[in-house]
Amino acid sequence: MDGALISWLLAGIPLLGGLACLPFRSDPERLKQSAVVWTLVSLASVAGCASQIEMPAEGLLPLYLLPLAATISILGQPVHEQHRHSWVLTLFFLGLGLSALSGAPPIALLSTTLLLALVASLLYRHHSALWPRSWWGIGAYGIGALCAATSAAADAPLSSVTSLVACAVLLPLVPFHDGYLTALTRLPGSLPTFIVVLLPVVGLHQLATTIPTVPDTAAWTVSLFALAGASYGALKALAQSRVRLLLAYGSLSFFSIFWWFAAASRTATPRAALLVGTVGLATGGLMVAWQVVRTRYGDDVDPQAISGLATGMPQYAVLLSLLGLAAMGLPPFGVFAGFMGLLLSPPLPSLVGLFITLLAWLAASWYIMQMVQRLLFGVRRPELRYTDLLRAELASLLIVVLVLLALGLAPSTVFASERIALGAVPIGESSTWNR
Amino acid sequence: MTLTLLVPLLLLAAACLVVCGPAASEHARAKAAAYPIGAAFLGSIATLYLVTTSGPLSVRFYDLSSIGSFAIPIGFYVDRLSAVMMTLITGVSVIIYTYSTVYMYQDRHARRYLAMICLTDFVLICMVSSANLMMLFLFWQVLSYLLYVLAHNHAHAGTLAGAFKTFTLLRAADTAFLAGIALAYQLYGTLEFLDLFARAADTPVMLSLWPGMEVSGATAVTLLLFVGAMGKSAQFPIHLWLPGSLFAPTPVHALLHAGIINAGGFLINRLAPLFGLSSTTLHVAFLIGTLTAVLGATMMLAQNDIKKTLGFSTIGQMGYMIMECGLGAFSLAVFHLIAHGLFKATVFLNCGNVIHNARQEPHFPHVDHQAEEPGLSRLTWFTGSMTTLVIPLLILLVTHGVLRIPLLEAQGTVIFLFFIWITSSQAILTLTRLRQVASWKVSAAMLMTLLFIVFVYLFAVESFTEFLYPNPEEVASYFRAADIPDWLFDLIIVAATILTVASWAYLYISAHGMTLRMPLWVENLRIRLYLPFMNRLYADELYALIGQTIMRLVHQVDKRERGWSR
Repeated sequence: MDGALISWLLAGIPLLGGLACLPFRSDPERLKQSAVVWTLVSLASVAGCASQIEMPAEGLLPLYLLPLAATISILGQPVHEQHRHSWVLTLFFLGLGLSALSGAPPIALLSTTLLLALVASLLYRHHSALWPRSWWGIGAYGIGALCAATSAAADAPLSSVTSLVACAVLLPLVPFHDGYLTALTRLPGSLPTFIVVLLPVVGLHQLATTIPTVPDTAAWTVSLFALAGASYGALKALAQSRVRLLLAYGSLSFFSIFWWFAAASRTATPRAALLVGTVGLATGGLMVAWQVVRTRYGDDVDPQAISGLATGMPQYAVLLSLLGLAAMGLPPFGVFAGFMGLLLSPPLPSLVGLFITLLAWLAASWYIMQMVQRLLFGVRRPELRYTDLLRAELASLLIVVLVLLALGLAPSTVFASERIALGAVPIGESSTWNR
Repeated sequence: MTLTLLVPLLLLAAACLVVCGPAASEHARAKAAAYPIGAAFLGSIATLYLVTTSGPLSVRFYDLSSIGSFAIPIGFYVDRLSAVMMTLITGVSVIIYTYSTVYMYQDRHARRYLAMICLTDFVLICMVSSANLMMLFLFWQVLSYLLYVLAHNHAHAGTLAGAFKTFTLLRAADTAFLAGIALAYQLYGTLEFLDLFARAADTPVMLSLWPGMEVSGATAVTLLLFVGAMGKSAQFPIHLWLPGSLFAPTPVHALLHAGIINAGGFLINRLAPLFGLSSTTLHVAFLIGTLTAVLGATMMLAQNDIKKTLGFSTIGQMGYMIMECGLGAFSLAVFHLIAHGLFKATVFLNCGNVIHNARQEPHFPHVDHQAEEPGLSRLTWFTGSMTTLVIPLLILLVTHGVLRIPLLEAQGTVIFLFFIWITSSQAILTLTRLRQVASWKVSAAMLMTLLFIVFVYLFAVESFTEFLYPNPEEVASYFRAADIPDWLFDLIIVAATILTVASWAYLYISAHGMTLRMPLWVENLRIRLYLPFMNRLYADELYALIGQTIMRLVHQVDKRERGWSR
């Protein structure tokens, strides 16, 4: 089958699924089931066709992750009429994301532009006067969309720089991170959980073609921003009491670590895709876990007021603990494997940079562990009703944990050919555990 | 090969046996799980025999020459060191697990606890038999988390705070370890133990920290790895997690003090050829070890809680162990950790019963014992003095003068002799405090103790060193690398000797009711020092203050920044 046709097919299935779900709008339960089925069909289509498309520099992992993340995000939401639109939109976003990842350059850029514009418009729709900061987010996505469109039309070096800015909006890099924070905190229903995987992997895909063409000065500036972002994200995450913001800043810190390596090596290899994809997935999983708490105790629940879930909700406690471990970069999960993959990619840009990235990595075990400990342990509160995970919630969290575990253990050649998996590693230094 | 894999798998099977199954058969399954652990112990002994007779065993589930290998390189390399550690861990585990099934009977969390014990054993076995630094680090980190899980109790605020402190401090040390791994890979291009040692020895690299300051690659790598070892082995100033985790059930401590805490000593021994390349790191290890030994032992004397006393005793002992590594006596450190592990496991298991008895009986331990026997006979004193002071001196002179062993040039030998003297003398002087025994028995016991300790040390020095490091040149090279300037070495030995003899004199004169005129300022100093040492030098408070200051700064920055938290 022709590569372009496959790309249309991959993008078309979820878009078609979105349309097919519309007749069930009056029945949220059927709508949710239908959306989940379409994401699974999309996953099957990716599994069936991925080998026939041209292998991107970052490997095929992002392509597999998107339908999986969509399934998880929809499954993790409670059946409620308020979430109907978010499920359908998740399918549309999935279609655009797959198109951006598998399509030819003009189509991919167009899909990216549409994606960014759609997120900006959704943020505008859900804008509230109580959150004036969300204007910054809308503006960031607006600029991102504009830059993506410009990069498709303009010549080098303008196209490189605009494409880089679009990447910095998609895969958050300080100072273009406002959009990411807004999306994760303001978008409704299942969208934040999906967006946290979708936008970074699309950004990574675009970056893989952009970063080798970027001028040295720009790469050096990116590397500085990346180090600043890693520290800033960790610092801000430490100060947060609201879970979504904590997760947003924490993931920003990890994405900045990736940016630092990417700016130094001028490549986006499968091991980078592993880090970006798993950080997104782990953050998404934690957001689903937080959604479980919100479903039981209200949307505006104060995390400080919740404690002792470990005794009342043992399944939830085990899965949340494992997700926490994965998100803070502990083995044997994918985040650790991705981080180690980058750390062991010669050459290291600088010792100071290494020190900062390791501090950011260390800080994660402080703020994430504190959050997990606060929710799970402590005194059991008599005024709280403890109901353990429902089947769909359990399935959603279990899938995240198992996928993260599998990605931590699987060889990189599962998602990329040996040549691509080697990336920019010099010949002769490629023998030991290069992912 | 199958045997090597069987040992960790049996422990994993034991964990599964405890976890999986109906609640009705929980206790029966818990008891049944002791059998696979026992089998793992037998497997470890068989592995030790195999390794001793046929050389190291190696199993790798990854292909060094292929990119398609697993992300985390799982493989096992069992040499004599690993086999000894495996035997120690499984042996202690059998005892601890069997004890725990009774100790935790009918406890609400017994299943989770027993499963965690089995899982920790599994992780420990995988760690000590790792084929490469990466796998070792992987299990090293999992161990940090398991320690956190084992040390905490869901509903007890103090325990939670202690567990969190344990986790964060260990993670801080793990970060340095990770930096060491990254640097080692960048410099030498491999994390396979044997290749790493060979490349580090063949290709000396210099790193420039800043203009004018260079450090060798081996020193930078080993210093970072040493910080990792400091964390697990509770070395000053990262020792605070150990007293903070003392709320956990006593069998956990038996396992912690007999197995987990030895990880630092094991790491240094595993990487001995790499550490042997850096005199600087060995000297730092010596310094940190000495400081930890002195502070740990001093703080132990001032504690009023049995678990804390034992905890600081362990810190002190770990200090000794690291100090031995810093002196290049790697095999002695392993010997020490085995002896200490067995001893401390026994003490901790007994300590639980003491606490339970004390709760039931307010006057326990009994204080109505007879007053100490007045004075000891001349024979006892004569034998004591002879065995502690004169005989060692004679041995020293004979060795130096008659046998022509150049003691003054061989710091390692002097250190061994010094340890023999200190340990045997301490044991002998403890015997002199025995009551209601005839003097000739005490004297005989003293002589026997001297002989026993001298032979055990000689065994440790000769047999065990030869067993772990069969190449004498390798051992000699570690001692050479650890050599410190002669004047400093002599100063340390002389100062330590004077201090030790003076302390013994003071203690025993005081213990037998004789007055000793001490300058007033010495008395005042002793009283003034007691309070800070009882409060563990206020290190907990200092760390809490640092944590609070950091968080205050973080919140200030957060408020100033026009970000999303406003």
